[in-house]
Amino acid sequence: MKPFGYVAAKDCEHAVALLAQYGKGARVLAGGTDLLADLKFSPHPPPEVVVDVSRVKEMKGISLTDAGLRIGAITTHGEIIESSVVQQVMPALADAAGVIGAHQTRNLGTLGGNLMTCVPSMDSGPTLLALDAQVTIAGPAGRRTIPLSELFVGPRRTSLQPGELLVDVLVPKENLNKPTGFQKFGLRKGQALALVNAAASAWMNDGLFSEPRIALGAVAPVVIRAPKAEAYLAGRPVSEEAMAEAGRIAATEAKPITDFRASAEYRRDLVAVLVKRCLVAALGRATPNQKELAS
Amino acid sequence: MNVTLTVNGETRSAEVPPETTLLVFLREYLNLTGAKTGCDIGDCGACTVILDGKAVNACLMLAAQADGRDVITIEGLATREGLHPLQKVFEETGALQCGFCGPGVILSAKALLDENPAPSKQEIRNALAGNLCRCTGYVKMIDGIQEVAETMRSVPTPALPAASKGEQKHG
Repeated sequence: MKPFGYVAAKDCEHAVALLAQYGKGARVLAGGTDLLADLKFSPHPPPEVVVDVSRVKEMKGISLTDAGLRIGAITTHGEIIESSVVQQVMPALADAAGVIGAHQTRNLGTLGGNLMTCVPSMDSGPTLLALDAQVTIAGPAGRRTIPLSELFVGPRRTSLQPGELLVDVLVPKENLNKPTGFQKFGLRKGQALALVNAAASAWMNDGLFSEPRIALGAVAPVVIRAPKAEAYLAGRPVSEEAMAEAGRIAATEAKPITDFRASAEYRRDLVAVLVKRCLVAALGRATPNQKELAS
Repeated sequence: MNVTLTVNGETRSAEVPPETTLLVFLREYLNLTGAKTGCDIGDCGACTVILDGKAVNACLMLAAQADGRDVITIEGLATREGLHPLQKVFEETGALQCGFCGPGVILSAKALLDENPAPSKQEIRNALAGNLCRCTGYVKMIDGIQEVAETMRSVPTPALPAASKGEQKHG
């Protein structure tokens, strides 16, 4: 790698001060799985300074708070998979973490890094978007909270300004235990980027879909919601046919491209299949009472 | 900058430039060349080491990030008494041919068995998904790892007598 400066940030404020001081000359290092691969092979000049946030305590860990489930930005995918609280209140996020890269990269790579690298195929995005997640951003002027959807701007582009840092992700308390399914389709089971990934969440009380959320990855410049499919499901009786139709509608909302991994047509077909599977998986996670009403 | 960490139970230290990866630190500063440089971007797993109990790609982290932490490399597995059971079974069953992927595969397997002494075939496959082998294939590795898991479970823990001695001393 080309030489660069290095500072290990002591806390968020220290990291923000460094990021503000160096502006575009600074890069944030968390798990390193994207950044180091990038720095090794990038044709661009190296950053002036790499700000290592991998020891910032405030940014690590998973905790239930009054506001919901908070996951620090440098929590690794491995830690999310092993977390009993995630397994309990948000198992779809553990499903997503479990199909990122391979074992070794899951032990290094972080949730915040997955979101901030902001590739359209990120596996953490759909589930969190389907659960109305919010993110905390620290900057020179203090902290702000925005919906996760507002973080994503384009491929490898987020709405963070120079000097800002992603601190944590919060899934609001009203969405904990909301039945959610996540699905990924890649060309292999390990070490594969998603051709398409998707997540769907919905309450299914009284046998009706309510507050349905459908999120799609790798079929648009950023992870997107499928509002027409959501509107179709809202208030509708839970049935396999409704799930399949929601998938077909979501496929019309996707804007996939053709590349060396798959054609746009194939990706569009996958959206329909995966959205239905997500809804089936969500139903499988609904409480027995909800399931009974739906059958 | 100074980086000090525990490697295979020993404290090791070196002055390195900040852009030094853990892999370069091990290979070029400590002369521990067991971890291999393969793809160098986290796809092949040839550089796998165990960091604080977890299998990681040494090529994807800076040495500075490992400062103060505990690393196990393939050099740390064999003892004076002989090879580690995983090394032994790989040797005996021909689970390796050229051997380039071996250190990474064996450390991924060790990290798995340390956490899960009775893995299923699928769990072993999952643990090895980040280790590419281009000559032997994976069947003998997977069979070997399962065999070691069974043997290790059936052997009484050798640490027991020492522990009871300790108790007597303090009692």
